[in-house]
Amino acid sequence: MSLFSFLGTLEIGLIYGLVAIGVYLTFRILDFPDLTVDGSFTLGAAVTATLIVMGVNVFLATLAGTIAAACAGLVTAWLNLRFDILHLLASILTMTALYTINLRVMGKPNVALIMEPTILTPFEGMFGLPDMYMRVIFVAVCAIAGGLLVAWFLRTQYGLAMRAVGSNKRMAQANGIVVKQKVYAGLALSNGLVGLAGALFAQTNGFADSTMGIGTIVVGLAAVIIGQSLFASRSMYVIVLSCIVGSVLYRLAVSMALNADFLGFSASDLNLITAVLVALALIFPKLRNEWKAKQAARKEA
Amino acid sequence: MISCKELHVTFNRGLPTEKLALRGIDLTIPQGEFVTVIGSNGAGKSTLLNTIAGDINSTKGQILFGDRDVTKLPATGRTADIARVFQDPLAGTCGDLTVEENMALAYGRGQRGRLSSALNSKMRKVFREQLSRLNLGLENRLESEMGLLSGGQRQSVSLLMSALQPSTILLLDEHTAALDPKTAALIMDITSQIIAEKQLTVMMVTHSMRQALDHGSRTIMLHEGKIIFDLAGEKRAGYEVKDLLNLFAQAKSDGEELDDDKLLLGA
Ligand SMILES: Nc1ncnc2c1ncn2[C@@H]1O[C@H](COP(=O)(O)OP(=O)(O)OP(=O)(O)O)[C@@H](O)[C@H]1O
Ligand SMILES: [Mg+2]
Repeated sequence: MSLFSFLGTLEIGLIYGLVAIGVYLTFRILDFPDLTVDGSFTLGAAVTATLIVMGVNVFLATLAGTIAAACAGLVTAWLNLRFDILHLLASILTMTALYTINLRVMGKPNVALIMEPTILTPFEGMFGLPDMYMRVIFVAVCAIAGGLLVAWFLRTQYGLAMRAVGSNKRMAQANGIVVKQKVYAGLALSNGLVGLAGALFAQTNGFADSTMGIGTIVVGLAAVIIGQSLFASRSMYVIVLSCIVGSVLYRLAVSMALNADFLGFSASDLNLITAVLVALALIFPKLRNEWKAKQAARKEA
Repeated sequence: MISCKELHVTFNRGLPTEKLALRGIDLTIPQGEFVTVIGSNGAGKSTLLNTIAGDINSTKGQILFGDRDVTKLPATGRTADIARVFQDPLAGTCGDLTVEENMALAYGRGQRGRLSSALNSKMRKVFREQLSRLNLGLENRLESEMGLLSGGQRQSVSLLMSALQPSTILLLDEHTAALDPKTAALIMDITSQIIAEKQLTVMMVTHSMRQALDHGSRTIMLHEGKIIFDLAGEKRAGYEVKDLLNLFAQAKSDGEELDDDKLLLGA
């Protein structure tokens, strides 16, 4: 792998690290499998790109994309909490609706940002670093800052209450926690992070496209699973940051698989590679435990 | 003080599966009284406690804490007054969180979720002190995942959690039913200590006639959603388990079905 493609892979892995944290919040913390992210990733990108083309300040545009995506999460939560629509189904409905909404927002299937200022523009040439390094550093700072904030949040009273809601609603309620409020907050936060990732992706890659979000959920889950199979820890900081690490490792593994000539994969084999990687990540901890148990048994004998 | 006036609860109202679970409960429990609640399966004991806690909305009637009408108040609005321990040891704690995190949730009960750290060393000290009362060695396992503890250990922690915040009412729904006799006795001991320390108003559901008579100062029996007797004072003092069993049998024969409840009443 060339240095250039390595840095590119790293950059995308870090951006999707934010997606992974969002997915972790819904799937693991709230126990609310949320597929809205396929739509909210694109929504974040679409809103941000459209506003930038209209001449809006890049930071404001990014913020707007993030908030729009957070609102998409609120819609899913509302469908589930107000009308008892199964969480999975509620999120599929929002995701489906977002496909049209994203097309409407952009007014066309894609928006190019090549000639526009982006959130990276102010940092260009900083410290005399070449662009490709600066971009990686920028997204790394975003991902890690996002991760640290989320980890800090999960360790506050409010965050602990959210974790309790995902673990045992009845207990949460008996302890005075307003369950619905926590679900709304969690879905907004999760989708906001995903939307931010979409906004960053559009600006680093120079476009927003109506189909760019397809498969976001799978990538996010893959990252969460890979990260957690490597780092078994109870620390929120380790867990959240392992989502980012998982995302980067996932991207590296995919690009190595695609680049390894002897494997003979082409770009269209991505889905198979993803499935195999996730399966490996799920199998690995089990084998490791079995191996450890065997070792212990041997020692006793 | 808890008072229920003409309390009715109907499940699945208007549907073919409609079920009248409470049919006019009139009950006043003065501040500091400890009431034991008995009755056969399906009598409405859990429903009564859940309605008082606000988990279930009453279809008719009123609930007051002191002179405050809480009938319309959701469960989360009542948690500043009420502490509870559930029958199911898994219900009162979060298996995915650590012992200290669970206790921190109870410690913050009745407060708003704030953005300050959920745990600090002052809390840990309180938790450790409380846990050491159990003599189960749990004070050294603050960071263990709750799901790794046994049912009895979890139930013991639930009980301590119910007492971490000041409250005036304690609702116990067969909280020792799932435990072995020794742990059950320990839990009942600590329950009595906590009640005495905090001078709580208590409702305790139990299937053990012995427990119902040995604890508290008043016993009520529910049958098909109604209070069919209310024992206190000298009359209660003279009661033996067999007298209660007779009352039970009477209620049964007045009613329709006679099933195997006797098995439950032995203890
Ligand atoms: N959520 C519900 N929906 C419909 N019916 C219910 C519901 N909860 C309870 N019931 C019914 O209400 C009646 C009273 O139930 P409840 O759980 O209060 O009984 P209980 O006295 O606590 O019994 P047990 O001793 O078995 O715990 C039962 O007939 C039960 O089937
Ligand atoms: Mg019950």
